[in-house]
Amino acid sequence: MNSIEVEHLKRIYTTTIGVIKRTKKEVVAVDDLSFSIPKGELFGLLGPNGAGKTTTIKMLTTLLIPTAGAARIEGYDIVEDARKVRSSIGFIFGGERGLYWRLSAADNLRYFSSLYFVDPEVSRKRIPYLLELVGLKDRAREKVEGYSRGMKQRLHIARTLLHDPDILFLDEPTIGLDPVGARELRQVVRGLHSEGKTILLTTHYMFEADELCERIAVINKGKLVALDSPQGLKKHVEDMNVLEIEVFGIQQDRIESIRSLPLTNSVSVIDRDQRQLLQIHSPSGSEILPQIMAVLGDQPTGRVALREPTLEDAYVRLVKEEA
Amino acid sequence: MKQRKFRTALGVIFSTFEMTLRQNVIDSFILFTILVQPILIALLAIWMLRDQAANHAIFIVIGSGMTGLWSSLLFVSGNSINVERWIGTLESLVASPSPLPWVILGKNLAHVTQSLVSMILSYFLAALIFNLELDIVNPGVFIGSLMLTIVAFVCFGAIIAPIFVMNPGVQGFQNAMEFPVYILCGFLFPIAMLPEWTTPLSYALSPYWAARALHGTSSGALDLPEVLFSWLMLVLFSVGSALLSAFLFRVMLRKARREATLGLE
Repeated sequence: MNSIEVEHLKRIYTTTIGVIKRTKKEVVAVDDLSFSIPKGELFGLLGPNGAGKTTTIKMLTTLLIPTAGAARIEGYDIVEDARKVRSSIGFIFGGERGLYWRLSAADNLRYFSSLYFVDPEVSRKRIPYLLELVGLKDRAREKVEGYSRGMKQRLHIARTLLHDPDILFLDEPTIGLDPVGARELRQVVRGLHSEGKTILLTTHYMFEADELCERIAVINKGKLVALDSPQGLKKHVEDMNVLEIEVFGIQQDRIESIRSLPLTNSVSVIDRDQRQLLQIHSPSGSEILPQIMAVLGDQPTGRVALREPTLEDAYVRLVKEEA
Repeated sequence: MKQRKFRTALGVIFSTFEMTLRQNVIDSFILFTILVQPILIALLAIWMLRDQAANHAIFIVIGSGMTGLWSSLLFVSGNSINVERWIGTLESLVASPSPLPWVILGKNLAHVTQSLVSMILSYFLAALIFNLELDIVNPGVFIGSLMLTIVAFVCFGAIIAPIFVMNPGVQGFQNAMEFPVYILCGFLFPIAMLPEWTTPLSYALSPYWAARALHGTSSGALDLPEVLFSWLMLVLFSVGSALLSAFLFRVMLRKARREATLGLE
């Protein structure tokens, strides 16, 4: 049985422009989106900013009513059976908001457990367990306003697990966290998955999706672009290798010259302080290297490496193809 | 089943009540609304009526306390929805299995309870600082009036909340509703001093019946049938407000989910 079923989901936002002569403008955030997630799967939803990821999650968590289409959580309709859906899901939206900053972590959890009808006897044991799980046990009595961003994120995780939901919606849970905090949080997500929870995760970090998710849906401009396992998505770029060349202060005309080489599919430049990293996607692997070095000429260069394409390469290709 | 649901509802209402009080005791705006403002109004009223203050002391104390009650309900209850929206918890409240009206009930109860502090403060201010006599003629009936006043104010506050859930912009109208209610409902002086055409407006407001019952039972100006009539009006207004609030919650929450006004994005 599928835990989450989404059928032709559509969401249009209506805004008004102008003061005296007001005209309505419609923005299609989610457009005919369909997918299903079986019980116990860790499913990724990827897409650029404004692709409709958060809107999709807000509809599935009953906070928004779809303009068209339908979705069911554990068989319950997200509009008609909203209250039943709410009892079986937990969610976090990335960022620091969504907590009572003037209260302590323990008080926040106590309050939310009453909202989720957790028996006081159960919550007395579960709150210390969850605080320990997310590493906040020692600071449970401090006000949330003094917490770091990472601590607030971890408190969100504890909050969402209070009623031990079977289905979790995690919208960019590691956004803004330092590498150690993000790694710890990924560990928690992995643990929840191993407990058999169904998880829908959105993230901008491709390695995170690659590491955690069993299947990934890529959406762009509200539409489903691809849906496959991370390995399956990488097949979209198996016809190419990625040549990475570290350069120092490269001129734009040289980048354009590399782009115009016959065996070059695409070139991207990543700025890293004083250096730039050229990423050249090409089906011919290292064979193209002499031609590129010829274009670079006296350009100071550093490390040169040839690597297999990653999920990020596949994602960039998929999103650009649909743009 | 019904008993269990009732117990669950009480649990949510009480925990919201407790959580709201814990947060409000360290909120300077709320402390100003329920402590400083009513004291300033009481001082002003005592000074204005200084020649007759001895005769009207209890009227002033109750009236200034009611201003605190009304301001707290209007600003704090209304704003609390917007505050939840700003801090991102409104979505968490709506997406929890607890019906939002239970949460609002707990919040309003906390706001009304804490604003009773302003009535007690005004009492001590008049009694200790201005050395005025503050006898309540019918204490038992006064307590009954006070209880019904709390219920009526909580129910009235439950009408304000769903409107804020739908539209944060209504905050702009709050200021316009504060002083007219003080005046029209006879908090600080009898409505007989107002032009006759305003009387129907006063009758249409539940705080008027609350002020009438409290002033009348403390001073002994009302006989029992008149008190009972005020109580009946308070009960009717409370029931009407509760029904209207239930309808508004249903409509406004659906509208807010359709028009995406629960969050800030």
